[in-house]
Amino acid sequence: MERLKTGIKNLDYILGGGIPAYSLNIVSGSPGSGKTIFVQHIIFNNARNGLKSLYLTTISESQLKMVRHLQEFAFFADGLLGDRVIYGDLGTVLRKEGASKGLDYLVQLIKEHLPSIVVIDSLKVIRDLFPDEKAFRAFVFELAALFSIWEITAFLVGEYEEQELTCLSEFAIADGIFHLYGQEEKRFQKRYMRILKMRGASFQQGEHLFQIGPLGIEVYPRLRPEGEELQYEVKRGRKKFGIPELDEMLSGGLLEGTITLISGATGTGKTILALKFLFEGVQRGERGIFFSFEESALQLQHTARHLGWEVDKYLANGQLEIKFISPIELDVDKHAFEILDMVRGKKVERFVIDSISSFESSVSDVQKYRDYLWAIGQQLRRRHVTTIFTVLNEDLFSPLIVSRAQLSLIADNTIILRYVEDNSIIKKVLGILKARGSNHDKSLREYEITAEGINILNRLDKADMLK
Amino acid sequence: MGETIGDRIKHYEALLREMWAASAKYLGAFSVNLLVERVVWEVSLEYKEIELLQYDQNGVSCAKIAARLEENPDLPVEDMFVKFIARYVEILAKLLGHERAEEIRKKLGQLGEEFSGEPFASREA
Repeated sequence: MERLKTGIKNLDYILGGGIPAYSLNIVSGSPGSGKTIFVQHIIFNNARNGLKSLYLTTISESQLKMVRHLQEFAFFADGLLGDRVIYGDLGTVLRKEGASKGLDYLVQLIKEHLPSIVVIDSLKVIRDLFPDEKAFRAFVFELAALFSIWEITAFLVGEYEEQELTCLSEFAIADGIFHLYGQEEKRFQKRYMRILKMRGASFQQGEHLFQIGPLGIEVYPRLRPEGEELQYEVKRGRKKFGIPELDEMLSGGLLEGTITLISGATGTGKTILALKFLFEGVQRGERGIFFSFEESALQLQHTARHLGWEVDKYLANGQLEIKFISPIELDVDKHAFEILDMVRGKKVERFVIDSISSFESSVSDVQKYRDYLWAIGQQLRRRHVTTIFTVLNEDLFSPLIVSRAQLSLIADNTIILRYVEDNSIIKKVLGILKARGSNHDKSLREYEITAEGINILNRLDKADMLK
Repeated sequence: MGETIGDRIKHYEALLREMWAASAKYLGAFSVNLLVERVVWEVSLEYKEIELLQYDQNGVSCAKIAARLEENPDLPVEDMFVKFIARYVEILAKLLGHERAEEIRKKLGQLGEEFSGEPFASREA
């Protein structure tokens, strides 16, 4: 089946290649949800590929405002107007002469311009011109037939609320339905898109985040923690930290393609341990990515240099990548997608997220947070990426608590870092709580972080950590 | 041998009716009527006489074209019908997919060898 490429970032991927050609699509949403920008972005992208679009408004003064507003976006091109993107008014004919004449006028415009895409903005206004549901349904049916016969992919825009989507006749006739909506989540005003229907396309269902920026629309596909994703090959190789005692405690290192949680209080060295894991990897010729929500790339470079780990040449040749996202800007929907995008297509063997506690603070509910981490974890496992998630344990001297959100369930391995008091001295203690598939060391070992790196010391006899 | 232009018109009328019936099975009469309307418009840009083709949701008739031919036997009706049918099948191929269009084309091929070729591509979506 032929597809109309939208050209919108990630949307064609969600649609399995694009919108089926000659389909009738409804773009619904409240005022301000981004409907007009969405269709305008599609028609300008297609205009650049030589396709002609006819954009018909139903409120006479809106066209001027629309063009003025669209000029702010990078996709807008003045030179395409009138040639590839043609604006017209359908509302006047419909209001003055009725639906039948409106259709005749539409056919006349189609014959004149032979467009590949027609947009009617808004269908809701047209609906209000009809005396009853039956007459409107007949009109939409004729409209749908007309567009397909003229090989036109159509977008009918409308200010519909979610509850209307299941009861109004136009949604039964439509081949595709895009519903755009927004909601407040923590500190973000977020925009979401759901494709409710797309005949002839195996699209990705569910809620996809989208943003409106200077480039137009950018979509971030929903992460899918689906059953099929659980099928992946288990590797038996080991990834070492390069800290002999710790690697020994882990029976030779972390199993390749597993997820490890490093949980600890502030200052216990979670970041340093994770950084050491990546540094060991790049020295072995592997590729690693450090996704930081806590410290900037410069701070991390400084820390590494201070410990004698010369990371600069690996950063310069791209073998090591440090990506910093400020926790203030952290939007889990967007960055979860970006995390996987960084791994896709690159032979990444080691990956760190520092810390997933920052992730949690930007997600509205704990279940969603767990779902995201689960989905990210599964995708990383499938790609055999050996991953470390660090997690902050806010209680400095608490009994062994991995995390408040039961994140230990998503991890194959769990390393605990914590403080203990010993003869009025605060010591750091490390223990391996879990190491799936390994006969790991069960002892609690004191450790220190010095200018030479991380040293694992003796076993502690009286840590009292399990009370 | 000895086939008159009237016989040829009847031949094309039979083809058009076959095409109409075969495509109505997939598109429905309403859409077929719209499709005929579209193709009439396109072909009329070259052959004005195609506008004499009578059609509605019950089918097509070439009676008016046949009558016009009696007045003006030099009308290039053969070219006109060949273009009409080729364009019709071409659009069908885009709408229904090549498999369905091929079935319709085969039926037409059984009625007239001039339609046994492949439908050609139209504008991209």
